[in-house]
Amino acid sequence: MSLEVRGLAAGYGRLEVLHGVDLTAGDGRLVAVIGANGAGKTTLLRALSGLIPASGGTVTLAGADVTGSGPERLARAGLAHVPENRLVFPSLTVEDNLVLGAYTRRRGPAAERREARDRALALFPRLQPRLQQVAGTMSGGEQQMLAIARGLMAQPTVLVLDEPSVGLAPRLVGEIFTALGKLRDDGLTLVAVEQNARAAFAVADHVYVMDRGAVVLEGDAATLASDPRVTAAFLGGGLSGDTPDGPPTPGTAEAGQR
Amino acid sequence: MVDLLQLVFAGLSQGAVYALVAIGFVAIFTVSGVINLAQGEFAALGGLVAISAVGSGLPLLAAVVVAVATVAVVAVLMERLTIAPVKRMTTLVSLILTLGVSTGLKALMLLVYGPDAEGLTPINPGGFTVGGVSIRYQELWILAVAAVVSAAVYWFYERTLAGKALRACAEQPVAARLVGISLGRASLTAFLIAGCVGAIAGVMASPIYFTSWESGLTLGLKGFVAATLGGLVSVRGAVLGGLLLGVLENLTAGYVSTGLRDAVAFLLLIVVLVARPSGVFGRSAEARV
Amino acid sequence: MARRALRLPGPSARRSRRGDVIGISVLAVLLAVFPFVAPGSLTNVGVYALIYSLAALGLSLLMGLAGQVSLGHAGFFAIGAYTQAVLVTEYEVGGLLASVAAVAVTMAVALAVGLPLLRLRGHYLALATLGFGIIVTVLAAESTFLGATSGIFGIPKPEFNGRVYNSTTEYFLLLVPVVLLALLLARNVVESRIGRALGAVNDSEVAAETLGVDTFRLRLQVFVLSAAYASVAGTAFAHWLGVVNPNAANFPLSVSFLLMAVLGGLGTVYGAVIGAFAVEGLDDGLRRLIPELVPGAVGEVQLIGFGILLTTIMIFLPGGLYQLWTTARRRLSGSDLEDGGAPLPAEGAALPPDEGPLLAREGRPAAGTPLLEVSGLTKRFGGVTAVDDLDLTVHAGEIVALIGPNGAGKTTAFNMISGAVAPTAGTVTMAGTRVEGRKPHVFARAGATRTFQNLQIFGSSTVLGNVMVGRHLRSRTGLIGAALVVPARREERAVEASARELLDLLGLGADADRLAVDLPFGRQRLVEIARALALQPDLLLLDEPMAGLSGAERRDLARLLRRLRAGGMAIVLVEHDVEAVLALADRVAVLEDGVRIALGTPEQVRHDPAVVAAYLGVEPEDSAAVAVAETGPGELP
Repeated sequence: MSLEVRGLAAGYGRLEVLHGVDLTAGDGRLVAVIGANGAGKTTLLRALSGLIPASGGTVTLAGADVTGSGPERLARAGLAHVPENRLVFPSLTVEDNLVLGAYTRRRGPAAERREARDRALALFPRLQPRLQQVAGTMSGGEQQMLAIARGLMAQPTVLVLDEPSVGLAPRLVGEIFTALGKLRDDGLTLVAVEQNARAAFAVADHVYVMDRGAVVLEGDAATLASDPRVTAAFLGGGLSGDTPDGPPTPGTAEAGQR
Repeated sequence: MVDLLQLVFAGLSQGAVYALVAIGFVAIFTVSGVINLAQGEFAALGGLVAISAVGSGLPLLAAVVVAVATVAVVAVLMERLTIAPVKRMTTLVSLILTLGVSTGLKALMLLVYGPDAEGLTPINPGGFTVGGVSIRYQELWILAVAAVVSAAVYWFYERTLAGKALRACAEQPVAARLVGISLGRASLTAFLIAGCVGAIAGVMASPIYFTSWESGLTLGLKGFVAATLGGLVSVRGAVLGGLLLGVLENLTAGYVSTGLRDAVAFLLLIVVLVARPSGVFGRSAEARV
Repeated sequence: MARRALRLPGPSARRSRRGDVIGISVLAVLLAVFPFVAPGSLTNVGVYALIYSLAALGLSLLMGLAGQVSLGHAGFFAIGAYTQAVLVTEYEVGGLLASVAAVAVTMAVALAVGLPLLRLRGHYLALATLGFGIIVTVLAAESTFLGATSGIFGIPKPEFNGRVYNSTTEYFLLLVPVVLLALLLARNVVESRIGRALGAVNDSEVAAETLGVDTFRLRLQVFVLSAAYASVAGTAFAHWLGVVNPNAANFPLSVSFLLMAVLGGLGTVYGAVIGAFAVEGLDDGLRRLIPELVPGAVGEVQLIGFGILLTTIMIFLPGGLYQLWTTARRRLSGSDLEDGGAPLPAEGAALPPDEGPLLAREGRPAAGTPLLEVSGLTKRFGGVTAVDDLDLTVHAGEIVALIGPNGAGKTTAFNMISGAVAPTAGTVTMAGTRVEGRKPHVFARAGATRTFQNLQIFGSSTVLGNVMVGRHLRSRTGLIGAALVVPARREERAVEASARELLDLLGLGADADRLAVDLPFGRQRLVEIARALALQPDLLLLDEPMAGLSGAERRDLARLLRRLRAGGMAIVLVEHDVEAVLALADRVAVLEDGVRIALGTPEQVRHDPAVVAAYLGVEPEDSAAVAVAETGPGELP
């Protein structure tokens, strides 16, 4: 397996947000992690890529234990993280953003970098005419494409994405998820955190559902897609069994079957 | 009219020195968020090392190289010993730390080079007069070197991978780490740049404005004002800010009062910061090196 | 940490008050004995230490309380010294009267300088004060009236009742009561309502503002007070040295003030006095030692020690000598100081079980009265419209929920309503006051406050201290009253009593004297709500109050909110736990991409197809759903 997470716990200061998450990804599959806001999805990715220290558990990348490594080392080890809100380098051109994406490969052969760049541009042809444009002036969707392309420049073995669809028009969401599907077909292992459950189900092979810092459901995308418990996890309650007192909600189950 | 031209020209050459110091502020601030209060001391140290190297018989060019190298080492040591070890760098901590380094460096210069101000031998002594405006060769040298150095720094940030990596750290530190850029190394590089540029400023200024252990204080402050006029995040802004400050100072000295020369910078600082925090030439809060 | 408030995080205010009486008495005895034990030359050093300790004390207040650095404090010192010198030598004013005038002049200058300067922050303020110091030096050196570079001579030693205080010992003993008094006043300010508010500002400016603390005004007051301390030092300096020249405003002097405050420790007012003696001792020692080690060394070579000390303290001992002292004391008294609070109460035992209305207030608008009116509220960041033309009216005694997917603009809307962010367009009216684009303390004054999604607890104070800040607007002692303590004490007791009462009501009574950051997350959230309630607001905005809470805690919170509503309070909450919201709210507004796509009762909103699409996202292939999402604002069924 390319990425194995066992009992990962992490948080901010005294606040533990992630309470022992297990997750496996590999074999060129697209794994989606979904859940309502505040479920701990972003924290999971931040702990995965070393942006925040793990307070427990292990992370194994391509067989090597990388728990506790900083993001710089993980980037070299083959993990590319496309962060929340894209975080492209705004005053740099698209071209330069891509060049920096290959920073860990800067001492490698130039031909390899050129090839990675060509592949990324083939995946997102919209970027091609904008290579000399300053990244900060592009639309949200284009910035998201650039952020993914930048991640691909490092030629990673695992690509993790934090909410690639947030704030984008449905058409662009489709475009981006189609691209992710292509990458999966090319054998890249992907982990995408998503709030847009439907978009995630449409392309993912395997889905983890998170709630309050833990994985509460996991399974094959096809099986889970029709599971009413997923809807319940989104519109609140149901899964953890400790909802605030209130009347039962007929509307949610119905919505889930739409 | 001749007066005006004379003052503007003198202001430009003085402003070029401020511009170089300002570039040092910008280099460090964008990457590590630290205002390096020892930036002026880098310049003073550069000047003093060059003077003593010439005094001990080295040719001028070699002396300049020695001076720049010395200050570069000092800047790198400063980063490793005082900036890198701090886990949570707040404004207060960074100010006190760099003030400490600045004070220590000042005293060290006083101990080693004594209390008197001296001037470095100019590259070409003397000058000439054009249409009533008298120009010293050294002033032309200052302008030329400042132009070359700022162009080189600009080129570094715009064209080289290392420079772009520094800009990436300044703009999106999280994303920079995710693509594998080390923030620690970036901070070190920024101090190295600041040290070199500062030393060059000190060496160039010395023949005209003289150097003493104390000259870093006002030079550093003027450099800071210049950098702030340019918004603190842009090399271009820093250069323009330096030139503007130099000219305004000389006009004040010429038309109002010589004594008020030093007050101009700070009045300008306060007015600009209160009225336009992103600087006179800054367009937005966005980091733009 | 260096930025912590000066307040001792001690278990109770009363205990620290007794501690201060002991502290000041011990210091008084030590100082009174000093000139008789120390050799003459050291007494001379001691006189300077006492003089400078006054300035350092002012700086310590500014840095410790207001979190601002001044690198030009010698400027105020010099203004005090020059004014005194001019009045005494030119106009033959009596020393005491002249001092009063000198302090007044300095305070006026500080006010004039502070008004523009304190709009700056952090680095900029520090560098601007440095510039101020240099301007004072330049102006003094330029002014012939002030004797230009040679300054003013012939300032006599002070004379009271025909007795001239001439010798070092006499002058030292004359200064001791002045310093002790200054210390006492500083300590009173630190312990007061003002000190508490400023400590809160240091921990979280935005949270303090939302509780009604006018941060700019308080910072300005402390800045002026701190200048006053420096000017007192300046007048004492003028009389002792007999000469004032532009060097009095010199940068190295500002640096040594800073070193004194930092070395002693910003955590305590005593630090400045101890720091002053340490620095002056070091100064004197180095001035003698260095020329012996380095032949030919002249001038201010002692600065090398200052530089090394400043740097090493910041790296290894950021709390200064005071930090050594507290660590030692903690070690001596064992671990009981470490965890001095009550044992953790069992979870769920938080709220008393009764269900009646809570915190009803006389004179609160009747239920149903429009309280908050938001109209056309819009925020654009660059090309992105985060909130687009939002209208919302909230009535007294109702709970309105604001929900929407991530990035829908809920928090931005909240920030604009509460005054933390200025809107691009639109108006916000709270109880008849226009509040948009003004600071959060204006919103608080209008009777409304908020909590934060990511907790903004005041980390350096206790639970009680946190809640007492919430009483800021319900008490009124100012800086002067605080310094003079007598009238303030009664009000302090009343504030403390009402804060404890509120904590008991919310089931936090047992935690009152613990540091707020030591509580588990759920309790911290409750502390934040308690703090907001201490303001007795008519409108309470809660930003994701349920996030991170356990099931039992959520139930308790929901019950608390219902009881507050029954008491007539209006509540607006942003929440992701949709289930909790639908069960709790009277009305629900749904935002998507900054646009209000639905507003209605929970039942209406639950069945709104646009809402369901917004929440579950839209399957790319599902063209019907795309159509729903793209038509945007869905009409209510």
